[in-house]
Amino acid sequence: MTHDVAPLRIFYLEDNPLIIFHVEAMIEDLGHIFAGSADSFSELKQIINAHEIDGALVDIDLADGRTGPTAAAWLREQGIPVLFVTGQETIAAEYGAALGLVRKPVAAADLADKLELFRR
Amino acid sequence: MHRNEGSLDWVMVLAPYRRDADYLESLLSEHGLLVRRAADADDLCHQLEELPGLIVATHEALTPEVLEIVHAHLIGQPDWSELPIVILLDRAAPQTRIRAELAKVWPGSRHIYYQRPVATLDLVSGVQSALLARLRQRDVRDHIEREVELRHELNHRVKNILASVSSIFAMTRRGAKSLDDFAEDFSGRLLALANVHTAVFEMDGESLDLAHVADLTFRPYRSGNQSRIAATGPSVTLGRDAATTLALCFHELATNALKYGALSVPEGLVGLDWTVSPADGLLSIRWVERGGPPVTAPSRTGYGTRYLTAALRNLFGTVPTIAYRPQGLEFAVSGLLSRPSLNPAAHGVLNRHDP
Repeated sequence: MTHDVAPLRIFYLEDNPLIIFHVEAMIEDLGHIFAGSADSFSELKQIINAHEIDGALVDIDLADGRTGPTAAAWLREQGIPVLFVTGQETIAAEYGAALGLVRKPVAAADLADKLELFRR
Repeated sequence: MHRNEGSLDWVMVLAPYRRDADYLESLLSEHGLLVRRAADADDLCHQLEELPGLIVATHEALTPEVLEIVHAHLIGQPDWSELPIVILLDRAAPQTRIRAELAKVWPGSRHIYYQRPVATLDLVSGVQSALLARLRQRDVRDHIEREVELRHELNHRVKNILASVSSIFAMTRRGAKSLDDFAEDFSGRLLALANVHTAVFEMDGESLDLAHVADLTFRPYRSGNQSRIAATGPSVTLGRDAATTLALCFHELATNALKYGALSVPEGLVGLDWTVSPADGLLSIRWVERGGPPVTAPSRTGYGTRYLTAALRNLFGTVPTIAYRPQGLEFAVSGLLSRPSLNPAAHGVLNRHDP
């Protein structure tokens, strides 16, 4: 797929590897760049480089507990926009830190639309 | 939720005459009961919110204001709650009329009447048995809360499994050369997922030993008592998610060996071993194939390699190494057991709420 504009660099905070590698493939199919993943908020803080990321996908429950919402707020403070990717829509709705929500299981068309929200 | 956290094990005394209140408080305290007085209407409202185990009320306490405040509390109770109320009436009081009126104005409560002067031991044993009944209500409450929590957790897990299966489906389809190919790979992966789920459930529902994960994943590759995959290593307890991920990784390694590697010929063997360094808790896993056909690196990255890389990068925090040596494929990965993803105690709603 070709883009009129630059591809987006996307980071993924998720603890289910099956979903990560699927979403990674979808992101690449859409012509974007998969910029890495972490499975916990603590790891995210260690490895993320804000200058190399245009947006982050964030799950609610991670390897270190229900830290997704805190991670989303933290990412926003670093200037990184966030989309929740979750099957727990009602929990995600309680938190205002994200631009929107991608439902699991992730559909390519939905992901493609929502990723465009990262363009500021 | 906060409203439901009351301990329900204390007695609230409603007695406007100070002497009555003093007497009741010292009598019940002497018998090991926790007693609190409600000083006025505001205090009563506040104390009711903290969920008393029961109320002891004297005749004089039954003012219209108190009747109304307790009424409002009672009609707002959750289903499991039936507040016991011990009522001390004067002998001369119109018993029947009062009982009828309280039955009407205080629904959702159990009324226990005593006539003054009260035989102290009767009163104490009445209060104690009412409190025991109340504590059984508390058990019911805790079970209901636990059930709600479990239903949410179950819903979450089912959604997670469906999302996993959906990813396996999409990614298997993308690499498949034919429908038969697809069907074989997909059902193999689904079976590996189902086997590890069953094994975790049969243990304690939360964890599994690494040796057990290897054993159940390689069972299909055993002929008779002879396993062509020799797995050795110390006991390592893995959380549910880590066990699932490793089982799926072992499955990919084994099916790859069966199709292209050491297990594709009768004389080939695989060694899987893992070690834990005592100094820092570093878990290292190694998979070494020998005796198979000469190995060449694949021209494109398939499902197996792609999954192993993504899964183990997440689980171990490091990228696994896959070496296509001519004498056989070698695979290695290592990571600290203290990582949240490898530490069974760090994960799971069910664990977090256990005492």
